[in-house]
Amino acid sequence: MELFKPEFGLVFWMFLAFACLYFILAKWAWPFIIKSMDDRAKLIDEGVAYAQEAKSKLDNAKRDADALLADARKQQADILREAAKMKTDIIEQAKAEAAVEAKKVTDAAQVTIEQSRKESEHQLRQDVGAYALQIAEQVIRRNMSDDKAQRDLVKKLLNEVETSN
Amino acid sequence: MKKVITAIVAVVILALMAWGYAQSASHHGHGEAKVNPKETIFEHLGDTYGWEVPFSHTKKIPLPIIAFDQQGALHCFMSSRVTGGDTWQDGDASFKISTDADGGYKGKLVQVLGDGSEYRPWDFSITKNVLGILIAAALVILMAMSLRRWYKREGMKGPRGFKGMLELIIDFVYTDTIKPIMGKEAPKYGPYLLTAFFFILTMNLLGLIVIFPGGANLTGNLAVTMVLALITFFVTNLTGTKHYWKDIFWPDVPMALKCPVPMMPLIEFLGILTKPLALMVRLFANMLGGHMVVIVLILLIMVFAQMFGTAVGAGTAIISVLLSLFMLVLDTLISFIQAFVFTLLSTIFISMAHIHEEPKAVTE
Repeated sequence: MELFKPEFGLVFWMFLAFACLYFILAKWAWPFIIKSMDDRAKLIDEGVAYAQEAKSKLDNAKRDADALLADARKQQADILREAAKMKTDIIEQAKAEAAVEAKKVTDAAQVTIEQSRKESEHQLRQDVGAYALQIAEQVIRRNMSDDKAQRDLVKKLLNEVETSN
Repeated sequence: MKKVITAIVAVVILALMAWGYAQSASHHGHGEAKVNPKETIFEHLGDTYGWEVPFSHTKKIPLPIIAFDQQGALHCFMSSRVTGGDTWQDGDASFKISTDADGGYKGKLVQVLGDGSEYRPWDFSITKNVLGILIAAALVILMAMSLRRWYKREGMKGPRGFKGMLELIIDFVYTDTIKPIMGKEAPKYGPYLLTAFFFILTMNLLGLIVIFPGGANLTGNLAVTMVLALITFFVTNLTGTKHYWKDIFWPDVPMALKCPVPMMPLIEFLGILTKPLALMVRLFANMLGGHMVVIVLILLIMVFAQMFGTAVGAGTAIISVLLSLFMLVLDTLISFIQAFVFTLLSTIFISMAHIHEEPKAVTE
């Protein structure tokens, strides 16, 4: 059976062809192809890693921005609350101050009123004194003789003073 | 509807072809020599001087014959000088293709000596198989170089189409198979293994094409697979580490198994030899088997037509053609699988010869 008997010539050519093929491909083809494939695989891997990193960075940035925004909102609320408090404080203070001032004014008015009352009392006393003196003058002038008429007159005048007062 | 029409047309063409085949076969059979299946099979599977062209038994593409005669003188002439059964006188030596079945050189080039006996010269002819090997090698170089050119020109861009497929296969063989097994030694032995893979794959696939650039039964020839297996054998054993040889001649087994009678070393040593043998025979038998089944299926048409007449032959033709179509599709798959298996086993054998660290023996 010819098939099972390796022919020398065929073995020779096969070996030669394989050796040439090996040297050509091992020198020029395979290392270059494998390197190119590895390079591309690495590039793709790096691209994927980069994209993932960028995405996570973006997510982080979003989270940071959200946190910042929330913080700002809180600060704003705080400031508003403080302002409101300050406003009421100022009003309260103003009110208190106004009350004090008003009290001062009324006190002063009272003092003035008291003074003027005292003055008017004083005036009245002087007026009454002067009036009494006038009356006494007239009485003395008219009725030096008649005691009784004098007494009635005095009484009458005094009554008049009393009622007018 | 379109599919139905296509199917009908296909069946009609198939039937017509079958009829023609069967008629010519039965005519052939009645007329001259009967169909001799065994001879036909081995003629198609074997090596020839000159390459058959389709539809002809006599016309062949002539190929150069290179031979050293008994005196050691070189003779070169075209195979067309001798393929017709003629004797060719080249210088002082005459050559012919032996037809003597008993001489052991049937179908081979022989030198006819003065006393009429046949002498088999040193035959370096470019036979059909040799040319097939050279074509396959050229195709592999063309493929690899086209991919290299792509990377040179396009840099990081991924190749498309055929080059993309090539890259996929290289990735599958190198990155997914050789690299995990070989580890950091992969760049050193990768080129050999990749070359072997693509060479075998190309030869396998070329063997499935029936006309000129293909049709040579390359990997179904023991000489071809023997060379491939021997290269793996030498690479394995010449680069083997000290530990590899120690494991063969002084393995970690109980003393009784290796000291008085070296049983384990003998078995291990046989293992060295059986590994390439298995590589050689596996590829050879798989490819030869595939080719043989297809040829037998086609020959069935002739045999049946000769035995039972044209009609039976025509009927057989439809079944045979469909079956051989199925076989060829299967062979395409086998071509890839066998090339891959050869590469995978070579990778494993080589990496097994490269054990460096001493594995701690577990004795307790």
